[in-house]
Amino acid sequence: MTKKLSLYRIIRNRIRLWIDLFVLWITAKAFGWMLAIFLSFPYRSRMSHNNGIAGQGQMKIVGNPEFPEHPFYAAGKVFPVRVRHASATFLDDAMNCIRSISIKLSHNRFKSPFDIEMNSGQTSLFWSAASFLKFGSMRKEKWGVEYVEYNRLYPEGLKGAQQAVRRHATSFHNVHYYSKTPFLFVGKDGIKRYAKYRVKPFDDEPESGIDNNPSDWDMSNQRVLPHETRGRNFLKYEYEDRVKREGAKYRLQIQTRIAQDDDDPEVFNNMILWDEQIFPWQDLGVIEITEVLDWKESTRMGFSVNNMPKTLGVLPAKSIFDYNSLNYLRAHSEIARKARMWSYWFWGVPPEIPDNDNRNVSDWGK
Amino acid sequence: MSTEKNPQEICKECHEKTRIGYQYNDGFFGPKLRSINHLEVGRSKIISSPITITLEFLYLVYEKVRDFFVRIWHSLFPRRPKIWGEHKNTRIVGTLRYAHRNELDVPIHHLKIEFWARTWWLQWRKLSEAYSDYEGNFVLPFDLRTARSWKIKKVQAEVYQFTHTYYDGGLLKLHEERFKVLPIRKKDLIGMSYNLRTVRLFLWEYRTDTMVPRVVIKDHDKDAPQKYSQGRKDALIAQILPIELTKIKHLEQIKLAPETISLQDIQNDYPESLTVCIEKKLPGYTRSDEWFGLRMMNGMNRGYFEPDPTEPGMYWIKYFGVCNYPHNNEYALPTAEIKFRIKENGLPTPVEIHLTGPLNAIDKNPWQKHLFTPESGDKWLYAKRIARVNGGFSTEVDEHFCGTHLNTEQYAIAAYRNLRLNPLSELLLPHLKEVVLINHSADKMLLQEYIPSATALTYEGLQLRNKDVMGVLDWNGWKPMRVLSEAHTLARAENLFWNVVTEYVDWFFAEKEDGIKKYWKEIYRMSEDLVNNAVPVFLSDVNLDSLSPEEKHLAQNRLTYYCGQYGFEKNKNRQVRNGELKAVSPLTLSEEYNETDWNGLKQACSYMIMMATFMHTWINEHQYDDMGEVLYNCGGLRFSEKPEGVLQPESELSIAPDLTRSTQMLFFTNFLSRTEYGFITRNEEHDINPEFKKRLEVHRKAFSDLGVNIDNIESRTNI
Ligand SMILES: [Fe+2]
Repeated sequence: MTKKLSLYRIIRNRIRLWIDLFVLWITAKAFGWMLAIFLSFPYRSRMSHNNGIAGQGQMKIVGNPEFPEHPFYAAGKVFPVRVRHASATFLDDAMNCIRSISIKLSHNRFKSPFDIEMNSGQTSLFWSAASFLKFGSMRKEKWGVEYVEYNRLYPEGLKGAQQAVRRHATSFHNVHYYSKTPFLFVGKDGIKRYAKYRVKPFDDEPESGIDNNPSDWDMSNQRVLPHETRGRNFLKYEYEDRVKREGAKYRLQIQTRIAQDDDDPEVFNNMILWDEQIFPWQDLGVIEITEVLDWKESTRMGFSVNNMPKTLGVLPAKSIFDYNSLNYLRAHSEIARKARMWSYWFWGVPPEIPDNDNRNVSDWGK
Repeated sequence: MSTEKNPQEICKECHEKTRIGYQYNDGFFGPKLRSINHLEVGRSKIISSPITITLEFLYLVYEKVRDFFVRIWHSLFPRRPKIWGEHKNTRIVGTLRYAHRNELDVPIHHLKIEFWARTWWLQWRKLSEAYSDYEGNFVLPFDLRTARSWKIKKVQAEVYQFTHTYYDGGLLKLHEERFKVLPIRKKDLIGMSYNLRTVRLFLWEYRTDTMVPRVVIKDHDKDAPQKYSQGRKDALIAQILPIELTKIKHLEQIKLAPETISLQDIQNDYPESLTVCIEKKLPGYTRSDEWFGLRMMNGMNRGYFEPDPTEPGMYWIKYFGVCNYPHNNEYALPTAEIKFRIKENGLPTPVEIHLTGPLNAIDKNPWQKHLFTPESGDKWLYAKRIARVNGGFSTEVDEHFCGTHLNTEQYAIAAYRNLRLNPLSELLLPHLKEVVLINHSADKMLLQEYIPSATALTYEGLQLRNKDVMGVLDWNGWKPMRVLSEAHTLARAENLFWNVVTEYVDWFFAEKEDGIKKYWKEIYRMSEDLVNNAVPVFLSDVNLDSLSPEEKHLAQNRLTYYCGQYGFEKNKNRQVRNGELKAVSPLTLSEEYNETDWNGLKQACSYMIMMATFMHTWINEHQYDDMGEVLYNCGGLRFSEKPEGVLQPESELSIAPDLTRSTQMLFFTNFLSRTEYGFITRNEEHDINPEFKKRLEVHRKAFSDLGVNIDNIESRTNI
């Protein structure tokens, strides 16, 4: 129903927006600094994806793009690429973890024209800055069990976890990864679009590690199974062997849609998929990893949503409840990455994860 | 003996004179009774000393002041229907289930859930409302920003219980009461869904400790699925007080100076009953064959006349005694089978009385038989009294308590558990309300305390008997009593009322057809509750071949008679659940509307209304007529220690109830028949469909000609 335009309404809405933006800004800044002071520097830690392995090679944009033309993704263009796979949040590959891929279109540790971070699962466990902070505050991890209360209170969060975790994935390479929250896409035609990204194995190897019948009340239990024989690093070893043997080849895909001023805010909701019939996935490029980096190098790497061309960057957020606030939070937590780098300089790079029987842990010391 | 008037005129006069009125004037320093729940057999919590009355007065003043401020408070912070927020982008979700250990998986459908916010300045803002679905799931969409606004101090979800419908200026209104509050931390609302998870409610649960379907009532005042309306409580208090005081006086006198009180004194202290009145004007008439037959036919007992299989024109009324139920050996309760001939005037006259069972305390053979005829001299008089007393007992326990009270409760529980959005709630609930409350009181006052102390059956025996009688109660195939003659006014009134009810139900079904079909699943669930919790068909769980020949004959005799008495058709296709052949037929076996069940459903609804209204009222309001004189009729005659036992005259007080039980009996029959409230035509609570009232009014004269004042027919079984 259309409401009557009035000066009062304009002023009221404007003041509300300013307050919301201020709350968002202060929240994001405070979050970044808290992370830096209480986690990244003292514990030499990333926020979650510490347990990982990186490799490098090159990415070639497809020769006949079907997505809207964009100068950055010019047909046939070749980029140097680094990827880093990780398991969140535990230092044990055999636990029931979310798996990830982070892509950097350069061979640097950080500097790059384009970074993108993706996790397994089509949807997420949280959907806005507010929900992410709630998620974080309700972690309460103990011996591999976490988010008990969160999973009880938020059904979509629980569902997101159920379809995002990949216990016993046979390889980082055959998991499908999704960027989830959309990004900006302004192509050659100047039309504003939104874009989502995903990565699949190039040869369409079936995805592994999916539990088709997850438990509603045992989801928080991410511990290794009672008679587990796989070690803490089995996935990283597999990846190392695979790259040495045959390399790792991926397909980066993109989904775009034209922005409309009456778009439902749910368009930006990472918990809601865009209909693939209407917004089909298009091949963007092929990534070929030919070399695995050592633990130290992969640990020293950092990724940021700020490493993107202006025309492909983060969408603006209006409040902490805005679905786009999730990327806003990421964009404003750069200080945490810097603090981690300082901690390496100060304490040294954390040691590799030992193949011992300290299972179900997420701290370096164990 | 007065010879100027004929018995009919005298009876009419006495009927007028002893008619129940509302004369008690509740003065300021008059004693007060807090509520029906505080009534007891021995001594009700009457507040009678001036000090306590003053304190009570002060309390009432406090209550009034408090209510005044509560009203002001509510008007300052009203709960308006407006729903706040523009973008319903977030949801409260959850599932409603029963809390009882046996029903943890059973969803509660169509309960209303509301989501409320309260501002820092205490104003209420409704954020959302919804009903649970058939799986018990609910989704309350709301605007996240409105809920998280800085103005909001707290938020909460509230579950509402549907209590009743009423008519306000011709419009049907639903009344829902807040049943449970579920607080939510405002800061936990972060978008998408917030899960209240499974909300378990103690709502209209079935008891598991009874043989018949009963509802759980933990505390009559505080934790019951229903409450009496204020009007019902007020009416009770106003009418009960004088008889309550009379009873108390008697009990004190019996305790302190028993030599100063006699049975006659007790009788005189209570309002004059019909038989006492007639006996004063026409001594001996109420003990005559004529009166005996008249009352069996058209009195409280509404006796069922079973045609004699061999002699046309002869009929039997059978009152089964202790049978094989646990019983004591102090009170007589032989089986009484009375053979009647219908006279030319259409009224029955007794010709034989067969008594089976002990008549004294010495010979305990349960199968001993005694035959009495008008030629038996004084013994004929004694035998009629024994038969009358058994008739009183059977009518109260079988017809009144089982046939109407317990019978209605089983429908009430199933209806209240399931009927919400279906229009049948509007049709049925006004007639099914409060019955569980009065039954709960009856459990304690009558079943546990009074009856086992004043009659032959123990509490356990009563429970078993209730279960057996419930085993012949079913809506399916029920018909009102067959009219034997012009003079069979009860049956004529019953048939007339049944016609009114069925026509009204037909009209209602035609009016609300769409809604009834749309929410058919509520009916299915009601039916499932009804059937699953019903008692087994009488004798269906007994191996007759394992019984002795006498027991087997008794069992079959009872089954045959009961089928006629309660309109029970043995051969209906009934459900077997949990290995039991269930007495109550299903309303439907289909979750979706099913054409073949339509007429049956109408019949079932008519039956429920019929039982809760006319059938109950008939017995209830005639209790004081037929059990208002201790020596004429009572719950049980004592054997005494003499070899003649109960075959002794009324003057032999050792076979009559003792003084305590006498005053208790008169108290109860007065109490039960004088404190009625909630009538169809008076419609005190505006919950009776005006159409029902209108259709009844059309027949006012016809009913009146049959001795029935339609203004006295209760809309529900609540006393
Ligand atoms: Fe009653």
